Amino acid sequence: MNHVRPSSFQLRRALLTLLVPFVFTACGKKEDTATNAPNMEADLAATVAAQSDFYLRKDIAELPSDLTWEDGSELPEFADLNAKKGGTFNYYITDFPRTLRTIGPDATGSIRAYLLDYVEPGFLNPHPNIPDGVFPGLADRWAVDHTNRTVYYHIDPAARWSDGKPLTTADVEFTFYFMRSTHLRAPWYNDFYTKSFTNLVIYDDLTFALVHPEDKPDLAARFGNFVPYPRHAYQDFGAGWIERFQWRITPKLGPYQLFEKDIDKGRSVTLTRDKNWWAKDKRFFRGRFNPDRYRLDVIRDPDKTAESFARGDIDMFSLNTPKFWYENINDQHPEVAAGRILRYKFYNQIPRPDWGLWINTAKPRLNERELRIGLHHATNIELVCAQYFRGDAQVMNTRSDGYGWRTHPTITHRKFDPELARQYFAKAGYTQQGPDGVLMNAKGERLSFTITTPSQTLRDVMSILKQEALKAGLEYNLEALDSTTGFKKIQEKNHELGLVALSRSVELYPRYWEMFHGSNAYEDAYLNEAGQVVQTYAEGKPNPNPQKLKVQTNNMTSTFVPELDRLTEAYGKAETLPEIKTLAAQIEQQIYDSAPWINGWATPFYRGGYWRYVHFPQNFNVASSRTQEEFFLHWIDTDERDEVERARRTGETYPADLQVFDQFKRE
Amino acid sequence: MPRLLPRFSLDPLTQKKLRRFRSIHRGYVSFLILTAAILLSIIAELLVNSRALVVSYEGEIYFPTYGAIHTGKEFGFDYDYEVNYRALAERIAAEPDSDNWMIMPIVPYDPLENCYPGEPFKPRAPTTTEGHYLGTDQINRDILARLVYGFRNALIFSSAFLVFTYVIGITIGCLMGYFGGWFDLGVQRLIEIWSNIPFLFVVIIVASVIPASIGMNLGVLLFIVVLFSWTSMTYYMRSATYKEKARDYVHAAEVLGASTARIVFRHILPNVLSTLVTFIPFTIASSISALTALDFLGFGLPPPTPSWGELLRQGTSNLQAPWIVASAFSALVIVLVLVTFIGEAIREAFDPKKFTIYR
Repeated sequence: MNHVRPSSFQLRRALLTLLVPFVFTACGKKEDTATNAPNMEADLAATVAAQSDFYLRKDIAELPSDLTWEDGSELPEFADLNAKKGGTFNYYITDFPRTLRTIGPDATGSIRAYLLDYVEPGFLNPHPNIPDGVFPGLADRWAVDHTNRTVYYHIDPAARWSDGKPLTTADVEFTFYFMRSTHLRAPWYNDFYTKSFTNLVIYDDLTFALVHPEDKPDLAARFGNFVPYPRHAYQDFGAGWIERFQWRITPKLGPYQLFEKDIDKGRSVTLTRDKNWWAKDKRFFRGRFNPDRYRLDVIRDPDKTAESFARGDIDMFSLNTPKFWYENINDQHPEVAAGRILRYKFYNQIPRPDWGLWINTAKPRLNERELRIGLHHATNIELVCAQYFRGDAQVMNTRSDGYGWRTHPTITHRKFDPELARQYFAKAGYTQQGPDGVLMNAKGERLSFTITTPSQTLRDVMSILKQEALKAGLEYNLEALDSTTGFKKIQEKNHELGLVALSRSVELYPRYWEMFHGSNAYEDAYLNEAGQVVQTYAEGKPNPNPQKLKVQTNNMTSTFVPELDRLTEAYGKAETLPEIKTLAAQIEQQIYDSAPWINGWATPFYRGGYWRYVHFPQNFNVASSRTQEEFFLHWIDTDERDEVERARRTGETYPADLQVFDQFKRE
Repeated sequence: MPRLLPRFSLDPLTQKKLRRFRSIHRGYVSFLILTAAILLSIIAELLVNSRALVVSYEGEIYFPTYGAIHTGKEFGFDYDYEVNYRALAERIAAEPDSDNWMIMPIVPYDPLENCYPGEPFKPRAPTTTEGHYLGTDQINRDILARLVYGFRNALIFSSAFLVFTYVIGITIGCLMGYFGGWFDLGVQRLIEIWSNIPFLFVVIIVASVIPASIGMNLGVLLFIVVLFSWTSMTYYMRSATYKEKARDYVHAAEVLGASTARIVFRHILPNVLSTLVTFIPFTIASSISALTALDFLGFGLPPPTPSWGELLRQGTSNLQAPWIVASAFSALVIVLVLVTFIGEAIREAFDPKKFTIYR
């Protein structure tokens, strides 16, 4: 065999070729996070200086002396003051969190409730049993000046972060800078904190005031319940903060803290109670937040969750779905019959999620009003309520049910009536019935539309609607997508009909602008004299032929009715409750006439089950609760838990009980 | 040298293989059962349907099974949508002295209708009195009807899948084997990369991001599934073609001036086909499983299309109603077992050696 030793030239060439890739990796830009971290304090100072018309500093002597300070002492507490502290509460979340941030991309996951919504007190908090009541949280007293549209806050001197540092107005200043910063990448917050406030006035370390552009009847409750962010923990906030803060544990103001060792990646997250929480014995917080450890296991499948609950792996479970209430954990279930699992039904008073079919009026054919009214009469939500929900749900009267008053005195849903639907379809030109029972117009177009939903659990509801719609000669095609894709399709206004709901905050009166204003349907809805785009009816004229659909807004029906917009803008400026109610009724009439939203269902209660060793106050819960744990009124009796475990082994039973709490039921 | 199958008499070698197949009783009986099931599913509308087979009403005879709908008004009801034939049957039965008569199929339900209108939606156990032989599912639809029509959908899907993957795979495999050289090397590398993508995951991902305007239906699903499984046939076809290419008759055809296509499709392919047949049953089994898996996860056919995967999914979330999962599971097991038996029998029958001894 001929073996030639490589020459030195060839050896050097080979060595060089091997080294070339390493050169490229070394040449890449390195992220030097230590030295390139943004200087938040410098940027904040610059912003405050630049926006000196928003950020004001005044001396404490300038605080008006004629203010009526309130401290919520006249309002009743709602927790059971004899609640026992202690124990580990086992519960679940449906997905492991994608981030520990509570704001920004991916932050609206199920964990946010336990990091922010349920556990962190705001400065002021809406009283859950009294509609316009406000109770103190981070602020121990406040004063409202309606004439000057200002609310004054005095921070509780005892308030401190979980790392011991006190809460001061420096944190409030930071919070506003934070929420208004484009680095945040959360446009809704940018918009809210820009439009809803005219000024932040800081007097001293514990006193500040917020000035608003308009007066509202619920100025304190609506805008005072925000939770500040800790300035000292966000020193490196700036560009790229999202990645830096993705898994960072930041100091909290609430009773539950998170430690690194309690995060089992992909499996569970456990919260630990701070036994020396500063608000532990304060009115409105004592008797709440009782379990020492709150363990959240990741269980993705609802059926598996039901089984975990039946086994005792989790201590509580929502049984809102008819299947779970009537079939899986019904009164014949061995644990329920033995009284070890207790079931309850609680009537609450909240604005209901607006389930319904949102008709995209920007699509051809769906922009005809007669056709839309026909769709209303061809959609059998009554059957869904009666048979799928077994009578537990009712058809909503308007999209704004549950605010404490009937937003319109007479409007109710259009009833399912195939004959009437056919008449409306005939008016829209669909007169011939095809061989498969679906109506056609003169051009041969079939009366066929697609319903899209991001909720896989609603497939059955859609199938029911499809079967019933055939009676009116209407064909519904069904498209059940996964939650992200489905919601995105609807927000991009690519749907024909969307079966979706937006959850509602507990507020005194409904919102309309996001859902129905023309500027949220089309970019060029309103033009001024010069033909430039403006944002409101007040500033310009309605464009008769808008071209550019606006995506990623909640106007999922692409509704553009100029009169409705005029009313909505007046509604936004209304300052007294009677004025608000009058305008709301007019707006509801406009919405009813335009018919872009087919009324869906609402359930006036929530229901669930819990193991016997979990206790609730005597009245069970508060009027504005949406789930049993939202206000953390429950506690565990660890001795009783051992007893119940023993009872499961020995077969001992307790009296079974189905508790119905209808003290807040409204007809 | 075997020719392409002539029209009227089978080549003696093939006849021998078929005789061998018939002698393997397990496979042959499975084949007969499956063929019967397929034939019955083709005429499923005559056996399991909410439409009557024949109605004689006021002197006129109707055959409602195939064709346009008949409205309630045509049969004396007062509505414009399709008449409820079972209600019509009850009415006719209640008037013994009229001349009207009708015949309903054996199972008078179709897979999409709500069988208990006016009652809550929940699964009900099988009963013989109401004709729900396998019970109803969680929104009151008859399970037997959904099984039968789901079987038909699965068969359509797997036949189309078979045709497409085989045509593409065979063509590319044979060309790879015939041309060899750089073409073969290049396509082989591409196929290696492509086939390393995990099938189920990528189908799920693609299915969930297809543009909203196209939507999901049988055609789109088929396209996606075929896109990620056509590589399976290329391996065998390539090596078989390589083997055949070296034989004299191919050289002879080349010398005679035959074109590439002619040599590949008319000379080489027939020799390879006989063993190809042994793959068919296993491809059908795997495509039925793939469709069922996708439907189970919710990424397959859109609701309310009847499918076994969807029935399995309902079954596993309604374990308190065991008849749902029992029927879907048994049907799936039976069909896959039958297909596997047939496949084994074919493989044994088409084996070139009668007795295979491995030393």
